[in-house]
Amino acid sequence: MQFSEFSEICDRIESTRGRLDSIDIVSGVLKTLTDEELPVFVRFLMGRIFPDWSPEKIGIGPNLVYDAVAYVVGDSRNTVIRKINAGGDAGRAIEGLLLKKEQTSFFSETLDLLEVYNDFIYISGVGGGSSQKEKLKVLKKIFANAKPIEARYITRLILGELRIGIGEGNIRDAVAKAFDVPAAAVEHAFQASNDLGEVAVLAKSGVGDLETVRVELFRPVKMMLARQGTIAAMLEEEGVLAAEYKYDGTRFQFHKKGSECRIYSRKLEEVTKAIPDVANMLLEATTHDAILDGEVIAIDEDTGRPLPFQYVLRRFRRKHDVEGHMQKIRLVPNIFDIICIDGRTLIDEPFSERRKILTESVSKFVAPQIVSDDIGTIEAFYRSALADGHEGIMIKSRSAHYTPGVRGKEWVKIKPAVDTMDLAVIGAEWGEGKRAKHFGSFLLACRDELGELIPVSKVATGISDDMLDILYDMLKDIVISESKNTVTFEPDTVFEVGYAEIQKSPTYEAGYALRFPRFIRLRDDKSVEEIETLQSIEARFAEQTKRLQG
Amino acid sequence: MLKAAIDTEVFKEAVEVVAAIVSECRLNISANGLAVRAVDTANVAMISLELGAPAFNTFAAGDSQIGLDISKLKNIVASINKADVLTLDLPDGAYKMELAYGGFKYSISLLDVNTVRKDPNLPSIQLPGKVVIAGAELNNAIKAASLVSDKIAFGINPDNETFYMEADGDTDHINLEIKAADLKTFIPAEARSLFSLDYLKDMGRVMSKAEEVEIFLGKDHPVKFVFTIAGGEGKVEYLLAPRIESD
Repeated sequence: MQFSEFSEICDRIESTRGRLDSIDIVSGVLKTLTDEELPVFVRFLMGRIFPDWSPEKIGIGPNLVYDAVAYVVGDSRNTVIRKINAGGDAGRAIEGLLLKKEQTSFFSETLDLLEVYNDFIYISGVGGGSSQKEKLKVLKKIFANAKPIEARYITRLILGELRIGIGEGNIRDAVAKAFDVPAAAVEHAFQASNDLGEVAVLAKSGVGDLETVRVELFRPVKMMLARQGTIAAMLEEEGVLAAEYKYDGTRFQFHKKGSECRIYSRKLEEVTKAIPDVANMLLEATTHDAILDGEVIAIDEDTGRPLPFQYVLRRFRRKHDVEGHMQKIRLVPNIFDIICIDGRTLIDEPFSERRKILTESVSKFVAPQIVSDDIGTIEAFYRSALADGHEGIMIKSRSAHYTPGVRGKEWVKIKPAVDTMDLAVIGAEWGEGKRAKHFGSFLLACRDELGELIPVSKVATGISDDMLDILYDMLKDIVISESKNTVTFEPDTVFEVGYAEIQKSPTYEAGYALRFPRFIRLRDDKSVEEIETLQSIEARFAEQTKRLQG
Repeated sequence: MLKAAIDTEVFKEAVEVVAAIVSECRLNISANGLAVRAVDTANVAMISLELGAPAFNTFAAGDSQIGLDISKLKNIVASINKADVLTLDLPDGAYKMELAYGGFKYSISLLDVNTVRKDPNLPSIQLPGKVVIAGAELNNAIKAASLVSDKIAFGINPDNETFYMEADGDTDHINLEIKAADLKTFIPAEARSLFSLDYLKDMGRVMSKAEEVEIFLGKDHPVKFVFTIAGGEGKVEYLLAPRIESD
């Protein structure tokens, strides 16, 4: 497949309103692709270059892209940035710039989907002292050969957001439709393998191959997520519930094969080296090859009580001086689920069965659980959790499968009403006065059902000077565009933000705004996929209205 | 098969000539000598090098093609003593080439030829203008130009019989004019083309050692530099695609 065809398909989807029409477009194309093209096409369509489980990163910031474009079109980098700033959409701006190219070349190549992918792989593998120079060379070649519309999507792929408005679910449905297999089988295979691209290839050979996809060791699956809810509603639904503490720590996924193990963070990044103490504890906790799901918490040695979440994150982030920091904070894992044991995939087993296997095969650190059909018992458990310094409780359906990446109704978190939400940082304004060299106020976004980012609030209060330093360092290299005193970022960072009230407001695209928003903390354990959805903001608003009227 | 001995300085220069354009290449070996033809990642610069058998102290070879990591080779030869004689040994079908010098034996892994870009065909282009200047002078102009800009124009003015190099920065301007009488060769033609200094800086450094560099020019056309190394036994051609300004 030529990259120009891919670009035209993206362009068609971008201008298509209907969900079913988008699925039709994609499923029609999927059937025509080779086994090599299929996974790349599917991942690209999802705005990804590598599968979610893969540790590979392309490692190109906006500036390198702008340098390459500046070179090819013969303008200064500042001119390129100015054009991008004028429209705010780097993809469209670069598309316009590439209408004229100054640098000629001896051969013009038409870009091929797989060649572009291979160039990305090459770029991600370049290391060493002159790696930036070499990456730039490859980018120059790509942009020198790119037609304007191709450049729009190449830019967006590199910067991490395709913006064509097709959700993961629609791509999954398109795969099912193209190869005439049930969507549920595609979903199962996707959850187990964590790569829809690979699943598309399997779907081609039929439903049998999809059903036999297993979870593999050292290839992390997405974490199952929880919703907000109430004990009463959940009891009514399920009759009997499992309840566990909700730990104020950091989620992990532990993979063990023999004496070898790896720990992955919630964002599926490997963190084994940052928490060797936890790795050792977990290695000793089971003799089986397994994948375990749990939460690491920090314990105050003197009181035995859990310490706030920040203490754990500090260790997850740490790359140096791990030894020195091990003594100051004692980390303890709490295991509450098992995804795979001795080669057997457990995601399609009911939770009660997984729990049984977990307690039988893991000797230590298994999170305590009660099972009850009585609201009073569960509420008492909730109060004891709070009294012991935990965040609240999780109530879980005992019949539920493990659904990676899904925020379903099978897991419900019960915690004291705190009005906070996790939002993506998509832009900022420069500060004033002593904060002039820092970002002062941040523009935040939620997600709609297709995964597009929708602005919903700004936050400027509650951020310490130290945090402003940290944020500036984190964000300065992912600035996509800048105009007057505002900048936009590659969406990569998540803030937890508190607020007094949700209001209807025309100020932001979401149609809502937060009243008195304040910064609570940086959620660098969370990925942008996990932020608050527009739907749940609507639900919160409805809840709030009910409360005020009631 | 290749078995040869060569003065370190000569070999070093040959490696640097190639390294200015590419980080890896295919090396063509024959009884007549070694040859490289390669194009850079972005398809903007090309090199052709022919290093004849007489450039070596001893030379015996059969036809073959191997893949070379030129950047690595450049680092290795940089550490060799000037006075040493280098021997190259590549048995048939080997995956490594042995470099021996001053007691050292260095075994360098070859790249799988199929993973290295194929030798490009050199485009046939008519470049009507030609001048010959000293490599050092050319390099000085390139270095001066890069102080004010990232591009340089090479041109010939047939009316007043001059060859010129000029660079326009945002604020500064550099112009160097050489009269036909001061050039070793001058074939006038209407010619002016603009080039990226990114590439020229690396090429200029290598060409600075050449006594004479032939420069072939056209109007908004590539430039071709031709010069020799290894006391005339090595012939180098660089081709660089122009930048074309649109108004």
